[in-house]
Amino acid sequence: MSNKETMSRRDALKLGALSTAGLAMLSATNAMAAAPTEKDVKFDEEYDVIVIGTGFAGLAAAAKAAERGYKVLILEKMGRIGGNSVINGGGMAVPNSTWQKKYGIQDSGELFIKDCLKAGLGINHVELLETIVKRAQDALDFSIKCGAKWQDVKPAWFGGHSVARSLVTDNMSGSGVIKPMHEFVEKLPGCKIMTRTKMDDFVMSADGTSVVGVTARINYRFDPKLFSDDIENKTGEKKVYKAKKGVVLASGGFSMDKMFRKLQDPRLVEDMDATNHDGATAGALLKAFQIGAMPVHIDWIQQGPWASPDERGFGVAPLLTQQGLFKFGIAVDVRNGKRFMNEMADRKTRADAEYVILREAPKTYPVTLGTYNTFEEQIYPIIEKGLTGGVMKKFDTLDALAANYKIPADALKATVKKYNEDVKNGVEDEFKKQTLKGDSLKELKGGDPIDMKGPFYAIRLVPKPHHTMGGLQINTKAQVISGNTGKPIPGLFAAGEVTGGTHGASRLGTVAVTDCLTFGLIAGENI
Amino acid sequence: MRSKKTLFTVGFFVILSAVSFLIASEGSPPQASPHVAMTPELKEKYPIKAHHAKLSLRCTDCHEKQGDNPEDFKAIGDEGCLSCHKTKQYLADRLKFMDALHVNPHNSIHDGPKLYCDECHNEHKPSDNMCLSCHSNDVKIWMRKTP
Amino acid sequence: MMKKLVLILKSKLVWIALGGALFGVLFSLGVYEGLHRTSDDRFCIVCHEMKPMVAAYRNDVHGGAGKSGIKVTCVTCHLPQDNVLGYIFTKAKNGVVEGAIHFFGNVDAIDWQANRVNKDHFVKDEGCILCHVNYRDNANISEKGRSMHAHYASLKNTDQAVGCASCHAEVGHQGLRSMLNYYHPEYDYYKGKLDKYKDAVEKKLAEEMK
Repeated sequence: MSNKETMSRRDALKLGALSTAGLAMLSATNAMAAAPTEKDVKFDEEYDVIVIGTGFAGLAAAAKAAERGYKVLILEKMGRIGGNSVINGGGMAVPNSTWQKKYGIQDSGELFIKDCLKAGLGINHVELLETIVKRAQDALDFSIKCGAKWQDVKPAWFGGHSVARSLVTDNMSGSGVIKPMHEFVEKLPGCKIMTRTKMDDFVMSADGTSVVGVTARINYRFDPKLFSDDIENKTGEKKVYKAKKGVVLASGGFSMDKMFRKLQDPRLVEDMDATNHDGATAGALLKAFQIGAMPVHIDWIQQGPWASPDERGFGVAPLLTQQGLFKFGIAVDVRNGKRFMNEMADRKTRADAEYVILREAPKTYPVTLGTYNTFEEQIYPIIEKGLTGGVMKKFDTLDALAANYKIPADALKATVKKYNEDVKNGVEDEFKKQTLKGDSLKELKGGDPIDMKGPFYAIRLVPKPHHTMGGLQINTKAQVISGNTGKPIPGLFAAGEVTGGTHGASRLGTVAVTDCLTFGLIAGENI
Repeated sequence: MRSKKTLFTVGFFVILSAVSFLIASEGSPPQASPHVAMTPELKEKYPIKAHHAKLSLRCTDCHEKQGDNPEDFKAIGDEGCLSCHKTKQYLADRLKFMDALHVNPHNSIHDGPKLYCDECHNEHKPSDNMCLSCHSNDVKIWMRKTP
Repeated sequence: MMKKLVLILKSKLVWIALGGALFGVLFSLGVYEGLHRTSDDRFCIVCHEMKPMVAAYRNDVHGGAGKSGIKVTCVTCHLPQDNVLGYIFTKAKNGVVEGAIHFFGNVDAIDWQANRVNKDHFVKDEGCILCHVNYRDNANISEKGRSMHAHYASLKNTDQAVGCASCHAEVGHQGLRSMLNYYHPEYDYYKGKLDKYKDAVEKKLAEEMK
């Protein structure tokens, strides 16, 4: 296992360069290995600003740039608008928001930064966090101006935050922001969105220093069956677009880039799923590296330990584990029926623990289990979904559960017995699980965390790549920094998951939306 | 006397019917399309869906203005599908009962009625279901196989 | 003159003739009223299993939901219109058969949505054409529409004949599939979850058809 704590930026750059070189060699069969200059191409159309991607960051940048009177072209390689931004839960953490003030929640920018640094293992780029603290409310207001509707309730308290600061959209989905923003952008004169249009490369100025446009393919059709769509997909007809003011790269993360993600974390085997949509690949990110953009934190890939191999993508397992089985239940190694982690620790700690098992015995997925008292009423409908869909299974006895997952029954029963006893006697467990202390125990109302009368519910676990914290280095104006000069690359901006540094080693929940909308807005303001 | 009346009456009706004919032919049915000879090989290479075959639709009913050689035909795109199937909003409304539980493929919580038809629907090969790319376990509970 | 009149009045034949005429008029009136009162949605909905169909019909242009409020009765589309005797015979036959199914069969187990594959059989084209006479050459119909109508005409009287309803699947009953689902969900997943929509439909029907 790679020793993440001591990997330096130099190593990251080396690795980034190596993979870039490797891919460059592979793509030598393409027309050009390096980005073309304006002397080599003939522009089909001219715009002021070109935005790559239609997620939170892309649409925010485009809306702001168009509002300022620019002629904006937005390229989206998929058939649908929004990418990962339309399939998430619609939560946005805003420190010192008007919502918090309305509901009497005390918060501060310093506290927000402290929380992010703790989860990020202290390697976050603090100036980016400070920018978020300054501008997140503006980004929220801008989203509302574009038509987004946020629930008028007390902000939610997400894991890792010190106070409740997460707003949720009306429809509990990121589409609650994307749909109105998309309509807003479509109505703006001078804004054009082209779907199934893939950005292939940057067009550089004659002296090779600035970005002046992009080459792309229209009528491009993403093919999820290819191993590397970025390299192998040849569909579409070539076009070249000029960007007089610049290009905003908002192409998202690369959790579904089977080749690139494995280079960063070899535990991510090719047939592993992710919580992301199929199009989350590293193609555009690598093109930026090729023109000299500085890579940051590339191999920090956040993996969710709450997912299940028995369903595609995010599914219902995260809700049933995080807000259910993990709370008062346990997770066991099926080979020996013993616990192996603090079920409520941060994402990285738990994912790493699961990988220890999977490295030793691939596909012997650990199992989390609990009983009826571990679920709160509001997720009862999800329980039905989990059982009908087959992700979660219900058993009358621990023996039946053990038999189903081939866990040694006696060992499992012993584990559960000790767990229940420790809680009763107030003894701290070996993994220092917080939810079994103090106030949380009151929810149990004096019973056992795992009531032996059953029934028992169980879900198989697997870590799934969720968010790629690393990416392009940007300054607080969303300008991409060059590794050659240490200064911004003229004409190139970036926002969202494609950038690196904000979240450090591990992202806090609901902070991604904040990061994307804030820096998207800033990119649109500064381009 | 009689023959003049007859002549007059006949003449009147001849002119009347001629004028009526001219008026009626204002909105005449459009020109016939180029003809594609349907062979068993063509049927096997480019099968069409049962619900379209039931209407005895011919190649050129969809592939309008694309000549008469099936090998040159291109996908007709959203515009082609909607030339009969009206609008995406209309299709979303037809599955209104699914809106109640947010499982309407033509009006999903993610995309609304804005997807390309061919994200899921293919004519000459089996159709897909885009929802399956994430909701792998639930789709079969909500709806039938994509036509 | 008076003598002639009295003679006529005294004649049995005249009285028989007058009586016959009166009886004929009353009989015709009876048949007319009988047919008329069993032709519209108020009659059809007497059988409760027709509620979703009537509800969808009332949301449709043909059920009065259009700008002009013009309504077409159920029988205009669902009974033969080309032959009076055929009309009366089919009406009587349906009345008996459907009545028997209603009283002695299990109507709540009928899969109406599945039965829609037979819509060509129970939607009569001549009913449509009674109003939509110029479906072939109405310039307000799109070019695509007119070319499809030409296709329809070319298949008439062949073994590949299609009906108006083959393509115009929801005409007359807009949103029929959804209505049917509120009453008889197609998939188990929906069972019990669409009741509030069904209740809203029932309420609206009760108010409108008092």
